[in-house]
Amino acid sequence: MKRDLVIKWHFPHPPEKVWECLTSPQLVSQWLMKNDFKPIVGHKFQFHSKPLPKMGWDGIVYCEVLEVIPNQKLVYTWKGGPRPGVIGLDTLLTWALTAEDGGTRMVLEHSGFKGFKNIISSIFMESGWKKGITRRLNELLNEMQ
Amino acid sequence: MRTNTDPFQALADPGRRAILMMLSQNRQSINTIAGNFDISRPAVSKHIKVLYEAGLVQIKDSGRERYCELNPDGFNEVKKWLDYFDQFWRTKLQNLEDLLNQQHKTK
Repeated sequence: MKRDLVIKWHFPHPPEKVWECLTSPQLVSQWLMKNDFKPIVGHKFQFHSKPLPKMGWDGIVYCEVLEVIPNQKLVYTWKGGPRPGVIGLDTLLTWALTAEDGGTRMVLEHSGFKGFKNIISSIFMESGWKKGITRRLNELLNEMQ
Repeated sequence: MRTNTDPFQALADPGRRAILMMLSQNRQSINTIAGNFDISRPAVSKHIKVLYEAGLVQIKDSGRERYCELNPDGFNEVKKWLDYFDQFWRTKLQNLEDLLNQQHKTK
């Protein structure tokens, strides 16, 4: 799977502490968003935040837990759209924790944007583009690597 | 440019992707596009409307024909989401770090 958005972070705290903050709904609501998360595979939950009408998002994130490995890995879907029942953004979040230098190294992957990139790539690969458009798309693709 | 429709949704349909592929060759009149697909002209028009509202194509009148062409700026919408989430997660992870530091202090 293509890694679309990867963010690495170091916390000066052990993985168990970081894991607690990723999986306790009360703690998650303090640093991320209000939610009804449970660390159980198959559990469906939501995050609630301020709507972003300009981005076509009503402020609700629909999630389903796909993988739980305590203190190491957490995977859930991350879907949203302009209104209930209409999903525009269909992505996946993967949280990976490893002990590092007495603290925790976190790798957060937000993937699923690849559908877009593939489409843009395939359109770009087609001939017949005006020079300026080709250049701009090429730049865009490079930025998305 | 109108961007009422989520580009993710606009691209989710294979028919609309086929129209975009066709437009990647060259600008096309709506009649030519409709002639290339086994679906009704109203259905083609509807697809084009969705692509237009998502900002992925531009529509221009030339003589008696309406022409469609790709709008590269529309594809920037995609990048906006990536940029948005990049910033979003960095802010949230900083919150998380602050929370952990706070917990540590109070113990």
